[in-house]
Amino acid sequence: MKIIRFQLNGKWVEVEIEENMTLLDLLRRKLHITSVKRGCERGECGVCTVLLDDKPVYSCLTPALKAEGRSVITVEYLSKNGKLHPIQEAFIKSGAVQCGFCTPAFILTTYALLKENKNPSEEDIKRFFDGIICRCTGYVKIIEAVKIASELCNQS
Amino acid sequence: MSETSKLLEKWLKAEEFIIVGKSIDRVDAIDKVTGKAKFMEDYTIPGMLYAKIVMSNEAHAKIRMINLEHALKIPGVVRIITAKDIPGENQAGYALPDQPLLAEGKVRYHGEPIAIIVAENPEAAVIAASELNIEYDPLPTLLDPLESMNRRDILIHEETGSNIAFTTKVRRGDVSKGFQKSDVIVENEYKTQHQEHLYLETEGALAIPEIGGTYTVMSCAQYPHLAQAITARILGLPTNKIRIIQPYIGGGFGGKDDTGPLVAAQAALASHLTGKPVLLIYSREESFRIHCKREQSIIRYKSGATANGILTAIDVKIIMDAGAYANRGPFILWRATMHASGPYYVENAKVDGYCVYTNKVYQGSFRGFGNPDIQFAVESQMDEIAKELGLDPLDVRLKNILKPGMTTMTGQLLDESVGVGKALMMLAEKADWRKKRKMYENEKGRYRKGIGLACGWHGISTSRGVPDWSNAIVKVSKDGGVEVYTGITEIGQGTPTTAHVQIVSEILGIPLEYITIHFGTTDAPDTGATHASRGASIGAIGVLIAAAKVRERLATLASEILQCNPEELKFENGKIYSKNDPEKSLKWKDLVNEAFNRGVELSSTGYFYLPKGKFDHEIGQGYAYPAYSYIINIAEVEVDMETGIVKVTRMWPAIASGRIINPKAVEGQIEGAIAQGIGLALMEKVEFDNKGAIINPNLTDYIVPTAMDMPKVEKPIFVEDLFRYGPFGAKGVGEMALIPTPAAIANAVAHAIGKRIFELPLTPEKVYFKIMEGRICQK
Repeated sequence: MKIIRFQLNGKWVEVEIEENMTLLDLLRRKLHITSVKRGCERGECGVCTVLLDDKPVYSCLTPALKAEGRSVITVEYLSKNGKLHPIQEAFIKSGAVQCGFCTPAFILTTYALLKENKNPSEEDIKRFFDGIICRCTGYVKIIEAVKIASELCNQS
Repeated sequence: MSETSKLLEKWLKAEEFIIVGKSIDRVDAIDKVTGKAKFMEDYTIPGMLYAKIVMSNEAHAKIRMINLEHALKIPGVVRIITAKDIPGENQAGYALPDQPLLAEGKVRYHGEPIAIIVAENPEAAVIAASELNIEYDPLPTLLDPLESMNRRDILIHEETGSNIAFTTKVRRGDVSKGFQKSDVIVENEYKTQHQEHLYLETEGALAIPEIGGTYTVMSCAQYPHLAQAITARILGLPTNKIRIIQPYIGGGFGGKDDTGPLVAAQAALASHLTGKPVLLIYSREESFRIHCKREQSIIRYKSGATANGILTAIDVKIIMDAGAYANRGPFILWRATMHASGPYYVENAKVDGYCVYTNKVYQGSFRGFGNPDIQFAVESQMDEIAKELGLDPLDVRLKNILKPGMTTMTGQLLDESVGVGKALMMLAEKADWRKKRKMYENEKGRYRKGIGLACGWHGISTSRGVPDWSNAIVKVSKDGGVEVYTGITEIGQGTPTTAHVQIVSEILGIPLEYITIHFGTTDAPDTGATHASRGASIGAIGVLIAAAKVRERLATLASEILQCNPEELKFENGKIYSKNDPEKSLKWKDLVNEAFNRGVELSSTGYFYLPKGKFDHEIGQGYAYPAYSYIINIAEVEVDMETGIVKVTRMWPAIASGRIINPKAVEGQIEGAIAQGIGLALMEKVEFDNKGAIINPNLTDYIVPTAMDMPKVEKPIFVEDLFRYGPFGAKGVGEMALIPTPAAIANAVAHAIGKRIFELPLTPEKVYFKIMEGRICQK
């Protein structure tokens, strides 16, 4: 067992973990952040994506120990005081949400993409999303959502 | 005319709408974008146990012995359940009573559930599952349906005397005369493959013992009342002891329609035998190996046509690999058989279908339900006929396309709601079909474009005269809040969270926030399943009728209060007013309150039994479906002639499925179905080894489309060919766009490379060797 400290959605937390624990298990089983989904557990489907220092990572393949001293962001971070983040607004408006199982992962990935590229082209978006699977939407409306989100973010 | 029929007709004839036809945001989207949406595995109950399935490692074998001793000693293991522990009937078959919940005496596929480990933590369950000692006496395995259907020495189900589980047929006219009249005959064999649903959330269930010897089972099933019935049968309890509810579900696509009830029963069995809440979640590999797949089909198709492209006869033989259990196989075969002509008129038809047992994972429901396979054959044939005759494939289709007043291949009259011809013409124009078809003909160089067209049709509701109905409860509370109870589930398609709320909001004229839909629950009356594209069509009729009944009662009351004729009342935006004198108005909440004070009942059931005819299996003719939805896709591809890689660059869809209640939701269904169709057309295939084990039961080796594989999907054309029994005339959308997608892509690839591939998926390897076929290798 080992104690680690990291920033979870902007707040420092201290938690005791088993050394072989994944970030996914730490978030879901220890900290009860259930928006992070357990998918294939081998880094293929991407539904477990969280942001580690603002970069998307598969939490199923990331040792929890790697979070030490760093920032972990899950989708809960985005809406503040009941107000949705423009990315969340854009996902709702464009119809990018169906079953919702991959939605937190796509929203977080969009957040990371727009941090590094304020005006991504369709090709940029598709490439950035290559590591997450959505089985419901055919990605069409997710890509639309990112374009809308980038406009909304640039306006505000 | 009954009250129900009057109400249906009244709303079918509505000419202006407040919210029906609008792209409202799904009411569940807010939960899903904020991370508040809870799925099965997000629920924990104090004292909950964890279950795990132990699967067969043999495809066909007698179970000689199961030794629990060792596994029971693993710390944390509470109980190990096998078939002999089942208190009720170990029977979970759907079309035929041939499938145990847990294997008994013998196993019939690699991956078949044999035992359930129940433990205090998931880790202990995993260790115990690997430690469970099962000894088998292997039997010869049958993996090829063509071999299996002719063998009687090896029987997968001994009691049947044959490996053919089910047969179907259609007979119309005289095919030999039809072929004599033809100027061209085209005959080919087509093959389609097993496809995995790959819902991102695997199957699961959470069973909780409740007061009075009842159980609440949180289930991922697409038909709560079926999950209830199967669970009750396994537990040996009456259905009223089992209550099914659903959390949000991470995708279904048919797979959870078949598997969800079985998983519910497995969790409930574990809960019943331990007295504790039990959570059972399939791992990805378990999901792959245990649950049903889209069927593998072999289709022999012979078509005859006159020189100007009129079909004269079809002769079709469909062989489907049912796998180890019939499950929905007979119904899947039925659907393929009934749709074997495509949406075309043909005077002479002979269709024979065979559903054949093999020792592979069983076939089951998957979006399209047998229809993508047969339309792949039908639509390839149409192109081959056009090619033989030197005609444009569009013209061959237009010459044969079904129109109102025609009869289908089974002799059923289509007296209304046939918008396919109009949709086809509109789509061809939108895609600039004729120009592109000619332009791509002369492509040279490494990357070659092609454009392909495919139509599809899909009978709504269940096949033949199988009874179908709709059912719902609407109740209004004193403060004006409205609750709706339906068995229709939310599996991503959003029926309860778009179409249902819109229907209730439209009829009662109240804002969406007044309405809550309790979906996917046996607290509602039996609504039938969320399958067969019926959730927003047949499944929503009950919601419409229940809401309409409440409205009629409130209209009568309001007319008394406002001193006007009920017919002149409008219900809009939480107000009830006279359209002749808008001063005469009441707030919704005040009217509801008055209803409570004056004794007007404000809860209502809504029930509708769908009128159907009969299909005569002996003569292979009769009534197949109450109506059909129609779909057309045009696909544009680019083929790399040096690698065989096919890239779908553009898709144009058109749909004739009656009233569109929420265009944005329908677009989402079309786009998602196209993506799954691209997977089926180009890359997805469940592969088996020579022992019947799946060799790609994971996302590393089983490839599905990512964002990179998606083409530009154009906005769909909607032809609203209303259906008299649909809510506001809606038919059904969910499965539609998948059905012609593989055929449209295959036709586009054939156009690009000048040769046809008759077997899906069109992998780079297959395309490359087809391009190279007949070329002389020079040294």
